[in-house]
Amino acid sequence: MGLALGLGGFLTACGAGPAAVLSAPGGAPQRGGRLRVGLAGGGAADSLDAHSSVSTTDIARVINLYEPLLYRDENYDLQPLLAAQVTASDDARVWTVDLRRDVLFHDGRPVTGKDVAASFARITNPDDPKSGAAALAILDEVAVVDDYRVEFRLNSPSATFDDSLGQYTLGIVPADYDPARPVGTGPFKYRSFAPGRNSVFVRNDRYWREAEPYLDELEILNFSDDDALINALLSTQVDAIGQIPLTLLEVIDADPRISILNAETGAWMPFTMRVDRPPFDDNRVRQAFRLVVDREQMIEQVLSGNGSLGNDMYSPFDPGYPKHLPQREQDIARAKELLAAAGYPDGLTVELVTAPIQSGAVEAAQVFAQQAAAAGITVKIRQVDTTTFFGDGYLQWDFAQDFYYTRNYLPQVNASTLPTSPFNETHWDHPEFTALVKKATATLDEEERNALIAKAMQIEYEEGGYIIWGHANQADAYQQYVAGLVPSRTGLALSGFEFRRVWLGVAS
Amino acid sequence: MTPIILRRLATSVLILLAVSVLVFVATLLLPGDPAQAILGQQATPERLAALREQMNLNDPVWQRYLMWLGGLLTGDLGVSAASGGPVSALLGERIGASLVLLLAAGIISIPVGLLVGTYSALRRGRAGDHIATGTSLVLAALPEFVIGIALVTLFSTTVFTLLPSVTMAPPGEPVWNYPLQLILPTLTLVLVVTPYIIRMMRATMLEVLESGYVEMARLKGVPERQVILKHALPHALSPVAQVVAIQLAWMAGGVVVVEFLFRYPGIGQALVDAVTNRDVQVVQVLALLIAAVYIVVNLLADVVGIVTNPKLRTGGAR
Repeated sequence: MGLALGLGGFLTACGAGPAAVLSAPGGAPQRGGRLRVGLAGGGAADSLDAHSSVSTTDIARVINLYEPLLYRDENYDLQPLLAAQVTASDDARVWTVDLRRDVLFHDGRPVTGKDVAASFARITNPDDPKSGAAALAILDEVAVVDDYRVEFRLNSPSATFDDSLGQYTLGIVPADYDPARPVGTGPFKYRSFAPGRNSVFVRNDRYWREAEPYLDELEILNFSDDDALINALLSTQVDAIGQIPLTLLEVIDADPRISILNAETGAWMPFTMRVDRPPFDDNRVRQAFRLVVDREQMIEQVLSGNGSLGNDMYSPFDPGYPKHLPQREQDIARAKELLAAAGYPDGLTVELVTAPIQSGAVEAAQVFAQQAAAAGITVKIRQVDTTTFFGDGYLQWDFAQDFYYTRNYLPQVNASTLPTSPFNETHWDHPEFTALVKKATATLDEEERNALIAKAMQIEYEEGGYIIWGHANQADAYQQYVAGLVPSRTGLALSGFEFRRVWLGVAS
Repeated sequence: MTPIILRRLATSVLILLAVSVLVFVATLLLPGDPAQAILGQQATPERLAALREQMNLNDPVWQRYLMWLGGLLTGDLGVSAASGGPVSALLGERIGASLVLLLAAGIISIPVGLLVGTYSALRRGRAGDHIATGTSLVLAALPEFVIGIALVTLFSTTVFTLLPSVTMAPPGEPVWNYPLQLILPTLTLVLVVTPYIIRMMRATMLEVLESGYVEMARLKGVPERQVILKHALPHALSPVAQVVAIQLAWMAGGVVVVEFLFRYPGIGQALVDAVTNRDVQVVQVLALLIAAVYIVVNLLADVVGIVTNPKLRTGGAR
């Protein structure tokens, strides 16, 4: 392969120059070929386990090997996947799922209700809970009605339980699943796997979707360094790379051989203020901190302009998102007033804990420190490594940052803003808010629910502990001959890793 | 001669033991434990507790150290916390890959360094000498990362696209099956290491050429070729061997950066990964290995010194 690649590169170099650049393929998808995908992250701890993905490369593999009952498509709409139909009972406590009848596991066995129940039992196993377990606290039992129907019985009403079922961490596996023999229903089947290096998957000929996947093979390669990743793309050793640093977007885009996928997402990288500890237990201080941010400058400097404005509220794609609330803008004078009223007429000094938890995080901290200085706030930046950040101090820092992919409002609240949430880094505990959320969770009527959600969001807009300055775009790069990649709002790279739709315009 | 070497060997074992304790303590000082490192943002208390139990992290520290040391003595390198598999399986292929890189770089840079250094010394003050010393001075000032990036830009991405920029050999297949992918990482190491050898060789050669016995040989009418090969070179080799040893030892550690840049599947990548994952077992084995390389190449340099220096040769028999 190495030889062939080198030779290919040689031919391009000696060829007719720009004329050798291929145009984007059009027309009907062609079958065949191997797609080589480079992704940063992962390591020796990589796994093929359907339910414990941690790194980006894990997620990419899991999405192509396994499928949950529902999923979020590129528009962030909830779509059926292994479920044919999902219906809630009137009290939103029982959710009935009818399975597709034409789905087979990689080994040829049909997917039945028993497998669904076993998958959820594995995920929520109290002795060894998997990634998706935290969001399934309200699940009492999964009852198998018959081969193609299961009931999810909840211990409290949830009108948006179907959203929980649409997470990639909830792939359906056979009842006798063993991660050493990774069998799922995904478009690709396992062939080889070397943690921290690469994995190869082959087309699942039994796949239930018509014609898909188009590729014969899919190879996912780990890179520990962004430079190596981009070099691999530029030297045509990989066909597509996920999540390029936004600062390099223009440079990479200038190469005529390379296409860019620049997708708006609902991902957010907030500053987190602990609302139960001084100085942030005073809402005026939180307000002042939110008012010192020049959000446009932040997006310009941290994301090189590739992002959308944040208004201190998350879940911008949620149907209940209150678009009528005014966009918060920098107001240093007002911030100073608020700080003086809160007892800091001469400004104050805070420590901001940051780490390279996501591309741009450390830069955002630095820009914030500069902007805050104008209001007399001295921000001492304490930079730690990622493992330290997510270590014992995680969720305990007074003032830090965090990162979340796109989620709808209620699932995100469950993850981060209820007193019972596993990731409540702001220590937000607001009875009125909690009551609103609880009511919204139990309300099946969508319009009514959205109104409750908007109210809850407004409380966070006025008093919350997050500074949400923007939503970063997801930028990926790929060779011109790769077709079928579409921008995805999910925040996951390369069309949400749905490589079933990808095809190659020329044999590589 | 042998007792000196044996004594050096015994000291080396003690040093290795000390290194193992140091590394163990150092990894403990890093905040966070392997379970936290692996789960990252996904770390809920329940998942942490389950993983810690699976990884025996609840045992006391000294017990974990002794168990590891005991295993090492019986040839068992332990179990990697991150992968759950044996460390030997994780590292075997990688150690081989790194050795290939080091050997390739060594085989090229040592003779080239010696030749260019000698050439430079013989042409002292002339154009060839200026070019050689000037170039090696500039190269010696550049960090390996800069050299690597420059080579990639030149040969594989921007100017020419002749060579692969990263290593993509499938796991299980030896890296030398894809010789093209070895060129740039090897060349980077060569460009980093050779300048030092050139400069040392040139300086030593100049000193030797001005010494009494070379002058004597020349006065006696020994042909210039023989003067250099028989009289000057052997005397220059001993000090140069020290420099070569230091450079080779440096490569064992410096290869980390190069492997990172070229996605080379060697110990460098494994080491960075293991530190991130707080994978103490792997960090220790690699640190010991790099320490062992230092000790062995220095030992070899001393042997070269003893063999080429008659004074030490006889002194050893005391």
